Amino acid sequence: MSELDLGFMGEVANTPRGRGILLCIQCGRCSSGCPVARLTGEHNPRRLMEMIILGFKKEVIPTQLPWYCLSCFTCLDRCPQGGDVGEVTFAIRNLAARQGNIPAGVAAQAKSLYETTRVINPIRSALEKRESLGLGKITMDGLEEVQKILKRTGMEKIIQSK
Amino acid sequence: MKMVKNMKYAFYLGCLIPARELSYEVSVRRVMPELGVELVDMKGANCCAPFSIQSVDHASWIALAARNLCLAEEMGLDVMTLCNDCYESLLMVNTLLKRSPELRDQVNQVLSEVGKEYKGKVDVKNLVDVLYGDVGVSKVKSAIKEPIDGLKVGTQPGCHLTKPKRIHFELLRGFNELDALVQATGAESVPYERKEMCCGGPLRDINDDLARQVSRQKLMALKDAEVQGVVTVCPFCFLQLDLGQLEIKRHFNEEYNLPVVHFIELLRMGMGMKLEDWEVKAHKIPITEIFKERL
Repeated sequence: MSELDLGFMGEVANTPRGRGILLCIQCGRCSSGCPVARLTGEHNPRRLMEMIILGFKKEVIPTQLPWYCLSCFTCLDRCPQGGDVGEVTFAIRNLAARQGNIPAGVAAQAKSLYETTRVINPIRSALEKRESLGLGKITMDGLEEVQKILKRTGMEKIIQSK
Repeated sequence: MKMVKNMKYAFYLGCLIPARELSYEVSVRRVMPELGVELVDMKGANCCAPFSIQSVDHASWIALAARNLCLAEEMGLDVMTLCNDCYESLLMVNTLLKRSPELRDQVNQVLSEVGKEYKGKVDVKNLVDVLYGDVGVSKVKSAIKEPIDGLKVGTQPGCHLTKPKRIHFELLRGFNELDALVQATGAESVPYERKEMCCGGPLRDINDDLARQVSRQKLMALKDAEVQGVVTVCPFCFLQLDLGQLEIKRHFNEEYNLPVVHFIELLRMGMGMKLEDWEVKAHKIPITEIFKERL
């Protein structure tokens, strides 16, 4: 039996998207409608909420568990309590990210955003095609402002640490 | 007296479409003015801060989305998005900020560093909102010169056009709107199981295997309903269901051969404007057989 962190639920509940954890009654409607839970036993939204409520922080935050959700928000419309599992997922992902638990694909998008203002950039052939079609230029006019914002919010540090 | 709507929007393109789905962008730029909608590009806009970015840091999401909303406020125009991710991000932040003066104060402290202030003066709409709510189904219908009669399609409005209800006001509203627009072109929107299910796209680059498995479930249901093609509005759904079929072929050795088109392409063909060769080729699953002489 691992050591429980009894403050875990409160920590999650105190984040902007984590409040729904306080409303969870463990009914399981989230799991029954979840398209990922249908495909893999690794992901079970009701169980994830239970682990947060009981304080299994070490078993959640540094692991793959925060990163199975599609954010399709099916559970948000199904939860009878307004418990928002799909929202709570963002709360635990933010905690995971601060501990360096960020999937490579997500880290790459965050880095690209910081360096170019965009998470995906056109390859050379797409740029040439844009020009030949007379479509607007892809600019980085907002770069200075984006970087100032991300420094101020602290996200720049998370990006650089990856 | 009928009010004439001022159909002029700040056009928020996002990242994915101008990088990888130029055919979507071109069709929107060609079709919308024909329907009386004026689109003004947003200069200096940044990424909307989609779910990947929201996963890393909440405050950055709010501030980055709010910066885009400030640009639209400066233009004095409501925002029109194409991508469901952009739509959900900007719509959620706009809704949160309009509801909470406290959050607005917080974000404005961050934005003051770049000389901006969110005031809550604009609304965020999606292409479907604009076509259904502003242009209207009857006007779309009257613009159809060459009806897409007889074509059976499954529609994929995508999750973030429709969920959650509290942001989109009605349960799965976007489904009905897109279906009505598809029917206006003459095509038939066929009901299928798992219609409200996600395309799998949000797990692309996080867990590719699971993303493919979700898409596969969706494609199986579409195939069971015997549709001839799929109509999307979201660039991620398009990518996941079109390119995704090639990936599924590689990993599961299954072929679905379901052509996928954006709604605006369907509308464009119905209006009698042919797609160009490079646009036809932008679809990984060939669309030539179902659209033949329209291309």
